[in-house]
Amino acid sequence: MTGNVTITDCGDSALVAKAVGLDAEPAWQLVHALADALNAVRLTGVHDVVPTYDALLVEFDCAATDHATVRRVLAHEAARLGPHPAPTTPPRRFVVPVVYGGEYGPDLPEVAAQLGLSEGEIVALHSGTDLTVRCLGAPAGAPMTDGPPFPKPVPRLASPRTRVDAGSVAVAGRQAVICPMPSPGGWPLLGRTPVRVLDLHSDPITVYRPGDTFRFRPIEPQQWDEYAELSLADCHG
Amino acid sequence: MADTLTIRTAGLVTVQDLGRVGRSRYGLPANGAADQHSARVANVLCGNDDRAPLLEITALDFACVPSGDILIAVTGAPAEVSVEGVVRPQWEPLPVRAGETIRVTGINRGLRVYLAVLGSFEAERLQGSCAPDTILGFGPPLRAGDELALRTACPPIDHPFSRIPLFRLNAPVPPFPASWTIDVTDGPDRAEFGDTGRRLFDAPFTVTPRSNHIGLRLQGAVPRRVTKGEVLSRGVPIGAVEVPAGDELLVLHRGRGVTAGYPVLAVVTATGLSALGQVRPGQTIHFRHRTLDQAITAHRAQRQAIDALRSRVRMAFEALRIRAPADLFNPGQL
Repeated sequence: MTGNVTITDCGDSALVAKAVGLDAEPAWQLVHALADALNAVRLTGVHDVVPTYDALLVEFDCAATDHATVRRVLAHEAARLGPHPAPTTPPRRFVVPVVYGGEYGPDLPEVAAQLGLSEGEIVALHSGTDLTVRCLGAPAGAPMTDGPPFPKPVPRLASPRTRVDAGSVAVAGRQAVICPMPSPGGWPLLGRTPVRVLDLHSDPITVYRPGDTFRFRPIEPQQWDEYAELSLADCHG
Repeated sequence: MADTLTIRTAGLVTVQDLGRVGRSRYGLPANGAADQHSARVANVLCGNDDRAPLLEITALDFACVPSGDILIAVTGAPAEVSVEGVVRPQWEPLPVRAGETIRVTGINRGLRVYLAVLGSFEAERLQGSCAPDTILGFGPPLRAGDELALRTACPPIDHPFSRIPLFRLNAPVPPFPASWTIDVTDGPDRAEFGDTGRRLFDAPFTVTPRSNHIGLRLQGAVPRRVTKGEVLSRGVPIGAVEVPAGDELLVLHRGRGVTAGYPVLAVVTATGLSALGQVRPGQTIHFRHRTLDQAITAHRAQRQAIDALRSRVRMAFEALRIRAPADLFNPGQL
């Protein structure tokens, strides 16, 4: 262990640095700052970093570097950053229109029943606060955000769907997500946004970063077409 | 007009490269050739940059015809390779004249064949790579009639006594056994499985048909987690051996989602991942425990063999006055 992180081997081509002894928020800040720091160092052989909640996966080519070298640099950068690194980029906010319920959010009634709330209360909670993006995950750079302030965690579907439409807005546990592309999924669906989440022609393909926030805004099904030509980049606010 | 390579029999073939690097952070999996070793060797045999686009031919018969003279190399799973009806060797450069039909048939030991062309061909890119991403719907399989624009022609270098092999470059050919041994090292969550973790090595596992480039599902005596509690989603490496609920092991491969929430019992080694890219559904796998040092030594030896091959190719090409494309284009362009 080095200060606030433990570093563990993860096969012959990866290491995991995990924040320890820190609350969720500083642990999350530390692993993202550590990912930025490692990218800035441009260490030979290291090709990918994946910061999530309290962990950072570092992938490298073990023909070009080795675990000891990557460990040393990670430990050095972690020590340099200390337990409370400042965010390197200011967060941005996206206001995302969502059609709730019906064919757009087929699990809204079930989620309401499970939480002992009305559908309207679920929508009000889901769209009533800014939700912070914690990391980008599967599939396809999906923004994994903190969940809305529901009274208890939301169970996953007993039987995952083989296909969830692009733009679907889902919740599970104490997390929320937008599904950027059609894909299988086991999270209950509350609604769907007409705006395009990804831009395959920009690099990166996502406009949002960890630390940015989403605010969902309920719209009517009749308004779908008004937003269908927009991309998430247009929803800055 | 540039020469083209026209697909005649498509089977299941995609344009591939070694994958999309540096995008895991944005949630994009690496993807790329499932058998990275064979893909690298195919390009090296053509004097190409290792990362040049090439064809990945999976399981089914394939045929194509170039409109100009080219040099190709076919690696990967053992197959019957013919040029205009004449059987030709894999793992060596092969001159092909304009209009001759290249066929790859009879793939039944191993799963994926790689076909590289000297100079490679034009390929659409996403985030720096032409590797298909099935989630993004990028890089669909080729169809009969599709034409790939070739980047360079190769002067005709057929041997005057034509079918005598022109090259003997002794490329490093991996084994393609009926039953596979796959090397793994301990995963970061090995301790969560207690004594049951040893089951991974005690008996073979069978690859189920629900296996692909995202992950392989294996049946057998599955280790059990002895601890409780949710694992917070985090980045998982390619090669992670996970034990979800149920009676199957899941081994993540190059198309894996970058984050997951299952404990990682073991991690397939870099050389093991190339082998795993050749395992067919229904075949059995024995896992073999390696230390990190053993795994890294094996990987470096495999790379050094490729580097040595690269030197031999360069010498052979110089002798034959073939301009190696790796010298013509810088790797960033390829």
